[in-house]
Amino acid sequence: MSALTLYQLVALILLCAGLFGLTQRRSLVGMLISVELMLNGAGLSMVAAAQLTEFSAVLGQLGTLFIMGLAAAEATLVLAIIVVVARRFKSARTSDITTLKE
Amino acid sequence: MEIMAKVAFCVYTLIILGGAIVAVTSSSLVRALVGLITTLVGVAGMYLLLASPFMAFMQLLIYVGAVSVLIFFAVMLTRAELGGDEAGKVPMKTYVYGLAATMTPAAILGWLVMTRPVQSIAIPTEVAIKDLGHGLLESYFLPFELISVILMVAMSGAVLLTWEKRGKK
Repeated sequence: MSALTLYQLVALILLCAGLFGLTQRRSLVGMLISVELMLNGAGLSMVAAAQLTEFSAVLGQLGTLFIMGLAAAEATLVLAIIVVVARRFKSARTSDITTLKE
Repeated sequence: MEIMAKVAFCVYTLIILGGAIVAVTSSSLVRALVGLITTLVGVAGMYLLLASPFMAFMQLLIYVGAVSVLIFFAVMLTRAELGGDEAGKVPMKTYVYGLAATMTPAAILGWLVMTRPVQSIAIPTEVAIKDLGHGLLESYFLPFELISVILMVAMSGAVLLTWEKRGKK
């Protein structure tokens, strides 16, 4: 098995752990943690693919840097949304804040 | 040296795996956050193995330094009740559906990765930080500027959302 395949498998594990966490978590903060896991898998996969093939390594690293920046922006906004939701509903559990079904 | 690289890869994989399991299954959000940080440090080690120390540094700086602290604030600001937000059993149906939703992409993507190996080089390419800077300020100047705008909008939006007028209550 080539080195690239091994790195891609680790990235796949991160993606799947994030997906599983996203379905199992019952609070918004837990879901945010799972999303960060998935974003990390994406970054690792991109850097591995760029470093270990003939593809431009600069492009891969810059793409991962942009993923990190977007993750920081996303985490900021989600934090603000969680704070607003927690203030209004007095809880951050997803089961308490689904009102569309009612 | 080859052997050392393999050992380091295995160690980092174990760190990532353990951290991810704790982050996903722990019933306490603070423990889940510690698991997430462990995973992030493991991924930084992977970046070091891939001969991109700048990425490892950025991973530690942005993810471990900034994003984890943000999530910690989120844990702190949502007044978690006594049992915690995540206390109690997950319904069996959710568990089974979640496992199915996870295993499907895992099986498909894993099969694709295993059966269609891409021609890869053994030694990772080394990139000077200077080249990254040139890329950011020449070819990819627009995305670089856009991401700063996005960060600024996100932060001002966050401040605006959580703004509470004094004396309102």
